Amino acid sequence: MTEAEIAGLKIEIKEVILQALNIKNIKPGNIQDNVPLFARDNILGLDSIDAIELIMAIQKHFKVRIADQNLARHILESIDTIADFLIKEKQKA
Amino acid sequence: MKEINFEHRMGAHCESGTVTSLLNHKGLEITEPMVFGIAGNIFFGYFESSNFPFPTFIVRNRPGSIRKNIAKNLGVKFYTKDFKSREQGEKMLDDLISKEIVTAVQVDFYYMDYMPEWQRAHINVHFVNVIGRNENEYLLSDSYFPKKSTLTIPKLTKARFAGGFMAPKGFLFYPQSIPSDIDFEKAIRKGIKKAAYNMTKLPVPFVGVKGIRKFARKVTDWPKLARDTDHLSHEIMKINILLEDQGTGGAGFRYLYASFLQQAAEILNDDQLKKMSKQMMEIGDNWRNISYFAAKIGKTRDLGPERLKELSNMINDMADQEQPFFTELYKIVK
Repeated sequence: MTEAEIAGLKIEIKEVILQALNIKNIKPGNIQDNVPLFARDNILGLDSIDAIELIMAIQKHFKVRIADQNLARHILESIDTIADFLIKEKQKA
Repeated sequence: MKEINFEHRMGAHCESGTVTSLLNHKGLEITEPMVFGIAGNIFFGYFESSNFPFPTFIVRNRPGSIRKNIAKNLGVKFYTKDFKSREQGEKMLDDLISKEIVTAVQVDFYYMDYMPEWQRAHINVHFVNVIGRNENEYLLSDSYFPKKSTLTIPKLTKARFAGGFMAPKGFLFYPQSIPSDIDFEKAIRKGIKKAAYNMTKLPVPFVGVKGIRKFARKVTDWPKLARDTDHLSHEIMKINILLEDQGTGGAGFRYLYASFLQQAAEILNDDQLKKMSKQMMEIGDNWRNISYFAAKIGKTRDLGPERLKELSNMINDMADQEQPFFTELYKIVK
């Protein structure tokens, strides 16, 4: 993937997250790519219960399966890690 | 730092991941789903008693059973020991490291401070492999963490000797010997038979498919047991945690079991098992829908009778799916 495509993918991921969690007061551009999504100081203010909603939304939108929950923890660490996972999944297909 | 040459691998679940890594280290090529499946660990149990502050459920067999059933079904001999004295427990672990013996220890997960704080909770049945030590720290291989990690000596000792329900008591184990002529086909059949028996034939009203049905019936009564809406919401959201988190590999271990069936189908050259593996994956997807639903209604406090009835129906559907599934599985290996 080109850098522009990766940047586009990251925007798409952010939009999926905001939509899945019904967050309306934050714009995709305000979410940093490398900041842990579930850290207390993250702008999104996510908790562990949100994780399942994110998994379901990512699975549905990008047509992938995140079966292993331990793997899910690391996939959902940041926008960068979600993008890495999706790029690898795309390469496998 | 004295470090034993050990290949760190992540796992879906701490006990099966730890046992798998130990067996791999000792020279046995086996995957984590295979360890989980041969140990016959897929399960369901719904519990409500004075021992629990609120009804709860489990989706795998009791902690320690993976090691015990692997010993039984594969003939692996494990050394196991627990301790009354912290000093003795620490000394034995140090002696084993100095002899280059990788050793699994039972710990309170809360003290594994290399994990993010939000993921840590007091759970006394976490397992990690100890693979080295220096003056101040132990080197660990924790299947929940992407790389090898360190923990101070006092902290690991505290974690090994934490108090409370299912206290670890310094418990440690390692494989002493592995037979050279393991009959994997036989072991797989035994593991499947045990799991299918537990899920469909065990004459206990709160275990297996009967347990799932009980859960479905009882969940609509949870509002009567909860102190208030916040408490009820917490307990409903815990359904998601118990199914998806706490090392279940996702969807209450159903995905892990599906992987086992897929690998078993290849070893036994059995197309029917391959088909069952796909079915188990779909069953896992449906359990995950329950996780999602519970998380959502719990979080939004949408906990009226209609929503709980909806949840109850979803859980009962799982019993309807798992009853014929495990009945069929039992027939295949009988």
